[in-house]
Amino acid sequence: MKRSVLRNVGIPLLSLAVLLGIWEAIVVIFNVAPYIMPRPFDAIRAVTDNWSLLWPLVLGTIRETVYGFVCGALLGLCLGVIMAKVSFLQKFLYPLLVLSQAVPIIALAPPLVLILGFGIAPKVFIVIWVVFFPVAVNVFDGLSHVDQDLVNLARVYGASRRRTFLQIEIPASTTPIFSGLKIGATYAVTGAIIGELYASEGSSLALYQEHANSNLNAAAVYGTTMVMTALGISWFLLVVGTEVLVTPWQRRSVARRQLFRRRTDVVESTVHH
Amino acid sequence: MSPSTLLQLRDVGKSFAETVALEPTSLSIEEGSFVAIVGPSGCGKSTLFNVIAGLTAPDSGEVRLGDQVVTGATGHVGYMLQKDLLVPWRTVQDNITMAARLTRRVTNDDRNEARRVAEQYGLGEFLRHYPSALSGGMRQRVAFMRTLVTHQPLLLLDEPFGALDAQTRLEMQQWLLQVWKETGRTVLFITHDVDESIFLSDRILVMSPRPGRVIADLENPLERPRDLDSLTDPKFIELKSRVMHLLHGGAE
Repeated sequence: MKRSVLRNVGIPLLSLAVLLGIWEAIVVIFNVAPYIMPRPFDAIRAVTDNWSLLWPLVLGTIRETVYGFVCGALLGLCLGVIMAKVSFLQKFLYPLLVLSQAVPIIALAPPLVLILGFGIAPKVFIVIWVVFFPVAVNVFDGLSHVDQDLVNLARVYGASRRRTFLQIEIPASTTPIFSGLKIGATYAVTGAIIGELYASEGSSLALYQEHANSNLNAAAVYGTTMVMTALGISWFLLVVGTEVLVTPWQRRSVARRQLFRRRTDVVESTVHH
Repeated sequence: MSPSTLLQLRDVGKSFAETVALEPTSLSIEEGSFVAIVGPSGCGKSTLFNVIAGLTAPDSGEVRLGDQVVTGATGHVGYMLQKDLLVPWRTVQDNITMAARLTRRVTNDDRNEARRVAEQYGLGEFLRHYPSALSGGMRQRVAFMRTLVTHQPLLLLDEPFGALDAQTRLEMQQWLLQVWKETGRTVLFITHDVDESIFLSDRILVMSPRPGRVIADLENPLERPRDLDSLTDPKFIELKSRVMHLLHGGAE
């Protein structure tokens, strides 16, 4: 157990350290000017030194990401289910879904500002826009590929469509559903940053970087990019962690304990003692 | 002894597009009996099963279970395929209680029964295991227990041991006979393995393809209880020869 934790955490951390090492080496070996590429440590210092200034902006980006991701994931889930269940709507919705993703996100921002203004709404909208698609497509694919023999077995037992859906089709699709959510999670922060860049008038993380850039503060520019990247990775890891939690059967051979055991069971087992 | 009829088919036929999957067929199955259906692939045995289970509505005819007409209706038989169809996200115990979960709330009685059945048939230590931890034979046994606790009087088993190795299959056949004897259910068992059909059954229906139909209805004279020696009994050999000739009659 301990060794596996070491492998699962240690090796990714090592690759991160190697990346920073390469960065450092490039700056030193090629003698790159600090206004073009600072050393990694300087970029990190630019973040920690200004943390009190950055933190509210980071919080703003997190808020946009969370709202947008949750709404986008729910929308994608609903669309995926609808497309898998109603073949007319599948044919009707699929072209619109593909069309939605053909629109360049950057070209989406100006009309969004016209409609929604400069508040949190246009950013959340863009996050929803980039998140719902991979979720919808994966949910649809997952539900369309559930073993029909299993669905038939449920029918033979006399199961209703609702119970078959909840007890068989949804759990059978957890892997593709989480694939969609993981892809969506990596897009979500990018979407929020694009929204901030094109639809902010006040302060935001993306504008902070813009200001640093115009002030030739390369360390802050690189540092902000690192913060944004860290946000993206954290959000992805959160989704991965959720998947690990809700799909114990993919790693374990024996169920550990039942999370939602009914209270009557406890009574029963104490009676047996 | 006057056994009553549990299942009765009257002129049940089914076609898919131009293909006659099952010619109008009539048959009755007595309560508590073990009937094997043997035939090559494409002879309509799975269509016959799906009609009885209610998954496929027949073009003509009527399916009667006990005193009820159940043509095209589901929820009245136990059903098991070659694929065990255990769900990987449920433990052995929760897989056994699956039929209950699909139709109503699972009660403690359901869980206790699952535990009892698993213990009785040697899987008591695996109640909280996920199916991925079990061998093919164990998985098939769990699938059968799941079928058993539906408390349906009629069990439809469609080549349930077809994917197992010969050794495991023989063990499973003996185990099935034991469970059948203890529970008194009526079993309809599809196989393409003639030996298996004779070893298990009271009666054998031989089917032939294009169009799918029952070409023979044979009583199995082999005494019970059956063991390994039954497989070399003269009655076994004689019946096997008859079934083989029926199945390959056209080719000889």
